[in-house]
Order: sequence, then C-alpha cells, then structure tokens
Amino acid sequence: MTETSEIEGMALTFSLQGETFAIPVTYVDEIIDPLPVTRAPNADAFAPGLINVRGAIAPFVDLRHRLGMKPAGPCATSRVLVLDLVVGGESTKVAMMADAVDDITETNLSDLEPVPELGVRWPTEYLKGVAKKDGALIILLDVEATFAPTTSH
Amino acid sequence: MNPATQSFIQEASEILEGLDVTLLELEASPTDSARIDAVFRALHTLKGSGAMFGFTALSKFLHHFENAFDRIRSGEGTVSADLIQLSLASRDHMERMIARGPDPEAGRPPDAETDALVEKIRRLVETMQPGSAPASDGTPTMRRFVIDFRPSPDAMRNGLRPDLLLAELADLGTADITCLGHHVPALEDLDPTVCHLAWHVVLVTGAGRGEIEEVFLFASDGDLEITELGPVGEPASAPGSASEETPAAPEAAQAAEQVPSKSTSVRVQSHRLDELMDQLGELVIAQARLNRISSDVQDSALAGVAEEIERLVTGLRDATLSIRMLPVELVFGKFRRVVRDLSGELGKQVKLDTRGGETEVDKNVIDSLTEPLVHIIRNAIDHGIESPQERAARGKPEHALVKMQARQSGGEVLISVTDDGAGLDAEAIRARAIERGLLAADQEASDEQLYNLIFEPGFSTAKSLSSVSGRGVGMDAVRRVIEDLRGVVEVKSRPGLGTQVTLRLPLTLAIIDGLLVKVAGVPFVLPLSSVEECVDLPADEKARESGRALLRIRDELVPYVNLDTLFGFDRLDEDDRRIVVSSVDGKRMGLVVDEVVGQHQTVIKPLSIYHRGIEGLSGSTILGDGSVAMILDVTALVKRAQAARRVAA
Repeated sequence: MTETSEIEGMALTFSLQGETFAIPVTYVDEIIDPLPVTRAPNADAFAPGLINVRGAIAPFVDLRHRLGMKPAGPCATSRVLVLDLVVGGESTKVAMMADAVDDITETNLSDLEPVPELGVRWPTEYLKGVAKKDGALIILLDVEATFAPTTSH
Repeated sequence: MNPATQSFIQEASEILEGLDVTLLELEASPTDSARIDAVFRALHTLKGSGAMFGFTALSKFLHHFENAFDRIRSGEGTVSADLIQLSLASRDHMERMIARGPDPEAGRPPDAETDALVEKIRRLVETMQPGSAPASDGTPTMRRFVIDFRPSPDAMRNGLRPDLLLAELADLGTADITCLGHHVPALEDLDPTVCHLAWHVVLVTGAGRGEIEEVFLFASDGDLEITELGPVGEPASAPGSASEETPAAPEAAQAAEQVPSKSTSVRVQSHRLDELMDQLGELVIAQARLNRISSDVQDSALAGVAEEIERLVTGLRDATLSIRMLPVELVFGKFRRVVRDLSGELGKQVKLDTRGGETEVDKNVIDSLTEPLVHIIRNAIDHGIESPQERAARGKPEHALVKMQARQSGGEVLISVTDDGAGLDAEAIRARAIERGLLAADQEASDEQLYNLIFEPGFSTAKSLSSVSGRGVGMDAVRRVIEDLRGVVEVKSRPGLGTQVTLRLPLTLAIIDGLLVKVAGVPFVLPLSSVEECVDLPADEKARESGRALLRIRDELVPYVNLDTLFGFDRLDEDDRRIVVSSVDGKRMGLVVDEVVGQHQTVIKPLSIYHRGIEGLSGSTILGDGSVAMILDVTALVKRAQAARRVAA
C-alpha cells in the first residue's frame, strides 16, 4: 500500500451535539482554537460570517445549521477546522466549528454501511455512510454536498 | 521559447498594433508623408528583426509588403483604398504568422494564404500610378553617424546575432565597422557564451537617427551610443574625424554615455507587479498592527517610528499603484479597427468617437476590459444601429455615431459606450424574458428593469433579437467580467434615440483608503472616495421609526438609512450615532452607523463564493487587531436602500 492511499483512507472525527462525524483528512488543512467571527450582513444562516486564519480570510460555515441542530456557542473543547475545499469550481478555505476534535481513524470504505432511511435525524443527502468503531457510530459526511453554498432557489 | 524570441513577439505585436492605427490614419489622409514613412519603417523593422529571430517566412512576406510602401515613399505610387484594405489584411496575416512561432529549421512549406496576399500585393504594385511624390524628392541628404555598440554580456545566450545587426546597419548606407576586443579576457578565463566584444561604426547614410535606432530595437539591453556628425560634404565637426578617433578611450566614453543612452522606460512582466502588490498588501496590514500596538503601548519613541513608517508605506503604496495605472486609450485604440471592420461587414456607416482616453485605470482592469467592450460595441453596431435606409427614413444622419467615453468620478472610473441607434425595444425584451422564464407573464416591470434583463444569463443565448448576424453575444458574459473586477454595468436607452451602456469600475483592485465604521459592533470599511462628510445623528431623529427619514444638513434635505436595519442586525442602544454622507450619481444619501472609528488603509481581499452574492459588499479586509471587516459598496447600498424605500412608500 502506498503512502497516499494510506492517507486517503484516514478520516478525522469530531463531535457535534454528542454525535461523532467524520470527514476524510485530505480535506483538513489545520485545526485551530476558536477565533472571533465577523458577522456578514444579510448572510445566509449556513455561512454567517468571516474569520481570519493567519492572514487569509475564510468564510465561516455553521454545520449545526445545515444538519438541523440547535445553534450553540463555543465551549471549552471547541476547535475550528480549516478545510481546503473546491466549491463551485474554486478552491476555497472554509472554517467550521466542532464541539471537539476526537481522533484520526482509519475508515475502511468496505466497512461503510448505508445510512438507514429511518432513525437518522439529519438530512441524508449530506451523509455518505455510517461506520462502527468500538461499538460507537461514526457518520461520514459527504463533503461536497455538506459544504455547498445554499442556493437561493 | 527563448527570452529573445519572446521579447521579439511582444515588440512585434506592439508594432502591429501601432501599424493598425497608422494605416487607419493614413486612410483618412492618404498623402501624409510622415505616416507613409511610419508604415514603411514599421515594416522594415519587422522584416529585419523577424529574419534575425528565425521568422523567415514572415520576413519574406514583409519584403513584398514593404516594397509597396517603398514605391509610394519614392512617389511611384499613391495610397489607395485598395492598398489600405490589403495592408490591413496583410497586417492581420502577419499577426497569425507571428503567433505560430519561429519557422522550423527546415523552413516552412508555402501556404496558400501568404501566396495569395503576396500575389495581390504584387498586382497592386504593378498597377501603381506615380503620385505627386509625397515623400522626399530625389536623393536624401547623406549624413555621417558614429555608432558605438556594446551588447550586454549575456546577449549571445539570448539569441542576439550581432553579425545580422551589423549587416542591417550596413544596408542603410556605407559603413566602416571596427570591432573592439579590449574586454576579451585571457583564454583560460574565457566563457565562450559571454559577449565580450563591442563595435564602433561610422555610417554614411540617407537614413535618419530613428531608422538606426530601430536596427538596435531588440538589443536594447546593451549600451548604444549614436552620434550625428552632420551632413557629408562639410568638414566633420570634431577635429580628427570620427573614423580616426576610434579606439581612443572607449571605456571612459562609454561610462559617460551610459546614462543618456538608456531608455527611460523599463519593461516588466506583469506578474512581478502583482507580486509587488501582494507584498505591499501584507506590509499595509502589518503597519496597521504596528499602529495599534503603538497606541496601546503609549511610548513616544515607538509612536514616532510608527508614524514615520505609516508615511513611508503610504508613499510606497501611491508609487506602486501609479506604476500599475495605464491610460484607457490602450483599449480604445483597438476599437477603431473593430468598428471599421464590423460596420463594413454589416453594411452600416459608423463613426467612432473616443473621449477621455487619458483616464488611467489599473493594469489588471485594462487587461480585462477589451473583451466586454468588444461585446458591447458589437451589440451596439449589430442590434442598436439601424440600416442606412432606416436611418434615412427616420431623418437621422447617414453616419451613425458610437461614442466611447472614459472619466474618473470619485474612486470609480466610468466607461460608457453610447450609440445613436434605435434604442432597446422594451416590449421585445419583455416577450423574450417571459419566454425564457426570467419574468412572470403578469409581472410588472419598469423599462429600466426590463433593460437590465439583457444582462441575465440565458437571455441572449439563442437567436439574437435582431437576428442580423446571428452574433447575439451574451451580455451576461459582460456583466460577469465586470463584476469580477468589482464593477457594475448599467444600461440606459431611449427608443429611437439610442442606447448607453456604462461600466463603473473601481480605480484600483488592491488597496484603497477607507473609513472604518461600526454597525451593531461589526466593523465595516467604506471607500473614502465615496464619503463626503460625517455628521451627528440628532437625538430627536434617533427615536423616529416612521418611514420618513430625512435630515437637514445645512440647506439640503438628505435622505438617510439605518445600516443596522438594512443589514438585518439588532439595533444597539448607542447614544451618539453618526451619519456618513455619501454621494452616488450626484445624489446624497446618509448611512447611519454606530461609530466612526477613523481612516484606514485597506487591502481588499475578495469574498468567497459563500458571501459574494450579498448586495452591498465589495470585499473584505484584515484590521490592525487581526479581526475581519467587510468593505461596503456604497453605490449598491444606496440603490438597495432606495429600492427598499420605494417598496415601503
């Protein structure tokens, strides 16, 4: 197995409102402590503001809003994930807040189970699948769908 | 591609651009001998340098072309409409020849297009009638020049061929060439790829200094000194004539001559300017941080340094920005040809009038402007301007007029294209918009709103409104380019009288002077160029909740708008709110903010795809304390506020 494919199989897990989510580590640029967010006027609730990530201005997105969770401020374990994404054909740095960053774990795509139709509180179009690790459930996000800007239509 | 070839291609395309303009001027005044000479010189230069850089086919082609103008120069022919047409076609052909790069070693197989043009030129030259000898009569005065030429050390590596240069020089007249080898080092130190040689030439020629300088056009990074010794026949001005003083003291002479012989302009690749601008942006942000620390520390020595650095950074910023500014004429110049060709093609008679070409805009704006302007001009001539018959029937002048104007207004540059054609057809636009699903069938829309629909994507993708040429170019592409430049497109039209499309562009793309304000605790930057004054919001106005929001400033009533309401922010319980008065299109409008913090040099960073669509924002920036502030687009804000007021009323 080559080194790149090893990295490709890795996922970063983080928690939001007690649930564990995962995104492939290849999208993660850095993890930083929470910083003040500048509110954008008349902004869409999914992208409420902007943040200064060491000299670069990144949009700050609210994953809680997208997943239909209640809004919440930062807590003691909160971290900001800075992601390198391609959105609408442009490569963009995007910042999001997680309640805690847990671990980097190997996800074996063959172990991934499809998301059950029932019993999931979140919009299934954002989810790629579910994996079990040590008896706990990890939800792998579909990065492209999850971070797509809200369309006005 | 080697750098010398690249430099040739660049210079050649500049020469071709100039040729375009000169030919069109020559069309207007066909006996102007200065212009005829200019065309001949341009062709001659291209021929010589083309051969030098391996564009042999081009050079051969130019030989015929040049020949035609040589005949005219010597009075054996005149400038005819056919010649201009053929010259323009040849010019375009040369552009393509240059674009395909140097000829391969084995030479290029003959191509039909070149041969056809050569044949046409040959026939034209054969049928030329002697004219009234516009150029120099008989033999020109022979003059003596002394030329000292030392190529730069790496000239050979860049592909310079001094032998061809000197041969070309000798072609101009009688040349006495001496090679100077004092700087050739001992054999063990000799790097054979470095040019150690210099040449001293005494040239007796009928050509002028300009023609001699053109020989060296592509060797301009070397040292060149041309001294004119006056007409031959008279004794040379210096005692001990030129040819004898040759190897006297070349070093000393060169040291003294270097300064005046260097050109006063420098060619720089534009990405270097962009790098400079990026660095400057970082510097401005760092300086803002220094200022903030200095005001926290309250140390007078530190404050002194911080102030001095601020002054220096401002100076550096202005100097850097001015390097990037270029006159709009660079773009306008290209359109004489576009208008000429297009009106001919469509059988319409159109005159182009350009004004304000000296207005300067950032280089990156200039680079992006050509394409949208071509779209707009095509649309104006194709769809806007009526056929000559229609014009006659409406009692309009036979020649239609397209005006391109540029002017600066505050922090913006306005570039407008106005035609005196039929104007936009609001009903046709309405019908098409409904057909395309851009407008509901029963939706009310003012003419102005309808006109703006032409910029919607999908509006003009199918057959064009007039379907004259099937060239319905997407005006949405125009809007996209202009918005990428943080600009705005506006269209005005009057039925039967014409249409005006105006591009409003920011003066610069990178750094502006801004006014930092706070609204509901959030920092915003207003471009200082759009701010007229700041006044206090009177206490009795604060409580007002009704729709009427007018403030008397001196003798004028100024409408104002609360930014917090407009932005959907909660109102802070501030006591001393302020109104920033700005002016858009000559109309004053107040923007109520909680606090005016002060002036702030602002490095503009573009907004991401998540926030780009928000009306009234034009970018973002980092403040001295590291927080992010958004830059407001005052024009868009005021429009939005006016629209909101109209709805409320």
